[in-house]
Amino acid sequence: MTEAQRTRTAFFAMVHRDLLVQWRDRWEFVFRVAMLPFILILTYGFMLPRVGILPESFPTHMFCGMVGMSMVITGIHGTAVPTSMDFHNLREIEDRLLAPVSTRTVTIAKMTVGVLESFIGGLIVLPISLIFMGSSISLELAPHGVLLLILVLILTALLSAALGLLVGTIVKPSQVAAMFPGFLMPVVFLGGIFYTWKQLSPLPVMQVVTLIDPLTWVNEALRAVMTVQVESLPLALTIPGIIVWIAVPGFFAFRRFDRMVYSH
Amino acid sequence: MAQDSILEVEGLTKTFHTKNGVVNAVKGISFNVERGEVFGFLGANGAGKSTTIGMITTQLLPDAGRIVVGGQDLTKNTAEIRRNIGVVAQHNNLERRLTAMENLYFHGRYFAMSKAEIKEKSEDLLQRFGLWERRNDYVGSYSGGMAQRLKIARAMLHDPKILFLDEPTTGLDPNYRQILWDEMLEMNKNGTTIFLTTHYMEEVEHFCSHVAIMKQGSILARGTVQELEEKTGTHSLNDVFLVLTDHDGVDDRKSANGRE
Repeated sequence: MTEAQRTRTAFFAMVHRDLLVQWRDRWEFVFRVAMLPFILILTYGFMLPRVGILPESFPTHMFCGMVGMSMVITGIHGTAVPTSMDFHNLREIEDRLLAPVSTRTVTIAKMTVGVLESFIGGLIVLPISLIFMGSSISLELAPHGVLLLILVLILTALLSAALGLLVGTIVKPSQVAAMFPGFLMPVVFLGGIFYTWKQLSPLPVMQVVTLIDPLTWVNEALRAVMTVQVESLPLALTIPGIIVWIAVPGFFAFRRFDRMVYSH
Repeated sequence: MAQDSILEVEGLTKTFHTKNGVVNAVKGISFNVERGEVFGFLGANGAGKSTTIGMITTQLLPDAGRIVVGGQDLTKNTAEIRRNIGVVAQHNNLERRLTAMENLYFHGRYFAMSKAEIKEKSEDLLQRFGLWERRNDYVGSYSGGMAQRLKIARAMLHDPKILFLDEPTTGLDPNYRQILWDEMLEMNKNGTTIFLTTHYMEEVEHFCSHVAIMKQGSILARGTVQELEEKTGTHSLNDVFLVLTDHDGVDDRKSANGRE
């Protein structure tokens, strides 16, 4: 067996291990991933447009935001919480860190699981959206829409895993409970789920603030691909933006992960 | 250094920076372990034993010094060294939401063992360690002693050339201590070097060919039990330990102000 084959075997075993553990908690996973989109879609995508508080076209605005939010939050949560628990409380990761492969293999396996969970998070939003907003959503794909959509979804999943890994190497298990109000809530509500970036033009300061939120870049890219009739930032800007949001947190996450390996 | 050393440590140093200040956990220690021996690494709590094992087993980065395992320099061939070592930590680092069989399966796959080989060895080890009946239970439901046995079985699965055990018999009842020692001696007979820390002096006296005693990050003495007894003018390893460490019942970590 070559070194590459050994590394590949160990890598897939690490991914398999994480997915098996997640599968054991599958109903908790579905509840955790589906609950926030469900409540937001029920309120903002179904009830408020029906009673006339929001325009009937609002679900079209919101749909892309829901997909983006669900993918980003699920990926962050799915990478950050196990990483933090592994290093600080359970120390279960030690067996993987003693495997005859580079630390990078362990890191990438963790991120891969985050990417897969992020996709599942995106998929879970679809039936909820169809049930509550199906008749109100108007999708108009961009030219080469399917290919662009796949690209944006892959980049979104990578972004969520990179951010999750960074958060997981910063946050201690005792601080996980504070992660939602302190980090995820601002990401969700400043991430352009309910509005496009252009609609914030009367509030230029908020336009700048929301650019600090990675979800803004994701949602604007998804709108540019799936709802071309809605004015959004061009893909030529949002795709590089997402790549920056993968590269920068990813770089620091890898460094912090390496440091954690030798200091936990 | 001797030519048949499986482990060579030179000038190994580790310092921790804590809220309470700087802790010199390991202070430039040097020693070697011969291939095929059972080596006892002794010291009070906080003496620096676990930190030393952590560095030798690639889990901690040394600040200075050189470690050679099986002729491979640790800084250059980390993966190769990991392939040749088995590590049993003091704490429970098993996968609690997996069964015993799954713990062994994944460990074997991390070491690129074939599924058939893992199955065969897992069944054998679980039977020998009295875990066969509970093989499909989640490890989270195991008692401390059962978890300890599984940790040892896991470390043995990939046939390491050198097995590091950090207080392996703590928490085991006398029956399983004996079983563990039988297994370790069997492995040792087949060529595996054993490196262990323990607080049970009688185990060291019976099983270890060489001993090193550590205190506050330094090695105070090395040699066979007999050599150490002669050197200190005592008649048991327990007395050797007490004389050399000037033991007053206080952990080294209190004086070292930090981690072991």
